[in-house]
Amino acid sequence: MKKPIVEIKNLKKVIGDKTIIHGISMDVFPGEVFGFLGPNGAGKTTTIRMMVGLMGITEGEVLINGFSIEKNFEKAISHVGGIIENPEMYKFLSGYDNLLQYARMLPDPVKKERIDEIVKLVGLEKRIHEKVKGYSLGMRQRLGLAQALLHSPALLILDEPTNGLDPAGIREIRTYIRKIAHEEGIAVFVSSHMLSEMQLMCDRIGIIQDGHLVSVETVGDFVGEKVNTVLEIEPIEKAREFVEQTFPELNPKVNGAKLFVSASREKVPSLVKVLAENEFEIYQVSSENSTLEEKFLEMTEGTK
Amino acid sequence: MSHFFRLIHNENVKIYKRMGTWVMIGILVLVVALVGAFTKFVLDPGSNADWKSQLTAENAQLTESLETAPMLEAQKRLLKERIALNEYRVEHDLAPMERDSLWGYMVDATTFTGIAALFTIVIAAGMVASEFSWGTVKLLLIRPVSRTKVLLAKYASTLLFAVLMLVLLFSTSFLFGMIFFGFTGAETPYLSYSNGRVVQQNMVTHIIELFGFRSIDLIMMVTLAFMISTVFRSSSLAIGISLFLMFTGPQIVQLLSQYDWVKYILFANTDLQQYTTGTPLVEGMTMTFSIVMLLIYFGLFAFLSLFIFNKRDVAA
Repeated sequence: MKKPIVEIKNLKKVIGDKTIIHGISMDVFPGEVFGFLGPNGAGKTTTIRMMVGLMGITEGEVLINGFSIEKNFEKAISHVGGIIENPEMYKFLSGYDNLLQYARMLPDPVKKERIDEIVKLVGLEKRIHEKVKGYSLGMRQRLGLAQALLHSPALLILDEPTNGLDPAGIREIRTYIRKIAHEEGIAVFVSSHMLSEMQLMCDRIGIIQDGHLVSVETVGDFVGEKVNTVLEIEPIEKAREFVEQTFPELNPKVNGAKLFVSASREKVPSLVKVLAENEFEIYQVSSENSTLEEKFLEMTEGTK
Repeated sequence: MSHFFRLIHNENVKIYKRMGTWVMIGILVLVVALVGAFTKFVLDPGSNADWKSQLTAENAQLTESLETAPMLEAQKRLLKERIALNEYRVEHDLAPMERDSLWGYMVDATTFTGIAALFTIVIAAGMVASEFSWGTVKLLLIRPVSRTKVLLAKYASTLLFAVLMLVLLFSTSFLFGMIFFGFTGAETPYLSYSNGRVVQQNMVTHIIELFGFRSIDLIMMVTLAFMISTVFRSSSLAIGISLFLMFTGPQIVQLLSQYDWVKYILFANTDLQQYTTGTPLVEGMTMTFSIVMLLIYFGLFAFLSLFIFNKRDVAA
């Protein structure tokens, strides 16, 4: 097992007499894309702000590469690159001058070649010397990414990175994030409320709801195994009883004119065969992956 | 240390790459030039040929009021000094400085430190508040630099701007003074009264001294604006309060000067010239007392800024 780059231990945040985050614990490992998922107002941004030291921690701790973000801020944060919400830049400066600002703040200033390399990487080389004022949202996101990657961090924290990007831009960012995580071993911590997006981008997903971490699972566990099979069959009530007796583990349910069973792919042919042999009229068999979205809604509604 | 210089470099980039800064610098230079031109071409300097008899007449009048009118000890001392200075001028044939001379104009120009203060307050007020309103504070504070260092770099850059304004004021008033009034009377000394004697002093030293005295007020008001900007994250509030206090503070203190506790108010202490060439606001105030008060206020402003900036949850 690899050593985690981020260790979050029983993190709590109380503002006034309201508890915003109720003791979250999780680890993020090098080389993985960790998705932090939750509806608006669940506490994603608050957690991220505590992770990067923008907000004080009420209780618990955040360790980055073993250094406490509170007690050893400069050491801990030097491993982190991030975009917190929208990448807001100095609009009266050029993109390049913005990057220089952040380059100068490092204890060992990065070389000019590194800046040029990063600019090329995010595809801004043609307009990097223009003022940020004239940049589109997509270009600002790229500049934000450049700023976060400048010092080759071990951990990249991205708060809603695909916000406001067009589909092509989203795809590009997604490919890039997966690439740097898997090829360069950078841990990427991404927050989002866009479920479908997270499913494609992340290796593991943590779900936060009302300040509680509801679950942490790999995307495979989340989505893969559980397959819903939908049967259009008659007589439907009899079919349900039959399935219940012969395959009780399939947990059949009637919804409208359809029978839902949780059968895995391999199970479907034998099920259909048995049903046909028993004189049931089968009109349609379809199966669908339970998407992250369903799982997510299921989970978050369950806790309410 | 070079790391801290790079932080100051960053702040300076943010100050001087903005149009507004250059507009303010332009206005300062323009005001100095315009007032010079006004003094030269519009104001009537009046005849100064019989300055000796004027000073003698003034002295006679002063002596009379010294004997008859009731007044405070400090006021009496001031009148006596004035009489002594006037006598010294008549004896040594040193004409009083005229407004339309290089030095006279430069002494006048030292009052423009008020404009320098105004512009520096505008810069100070934006130092922290703008980062919040631009949203850039989030990216600024996730760098391997402690918040204390970020704030100190910002404060140091603000003071550098103040120094720039003062140097600019001094050099442009010298430049325009030379252009409008020539280098005549350069050897005129400045007369001051110290330890019961009239002493001659170099004029440039005197002007630099004036700048020094006025800078104290400037630094205190700029520090106040910087603190408000940090604590309330609002540049307009910082500019508003600081300017209001800068203009009304001395008057309020004057109004309340009958009370003894007024000496603990900041504005009763910002003018250290009251001890060298004037009367202290409240009997018994001394230069040391004022310097201690100024240091206490400065420490308070600095502590509040640092404490709140370090503690603040950034959630904009």
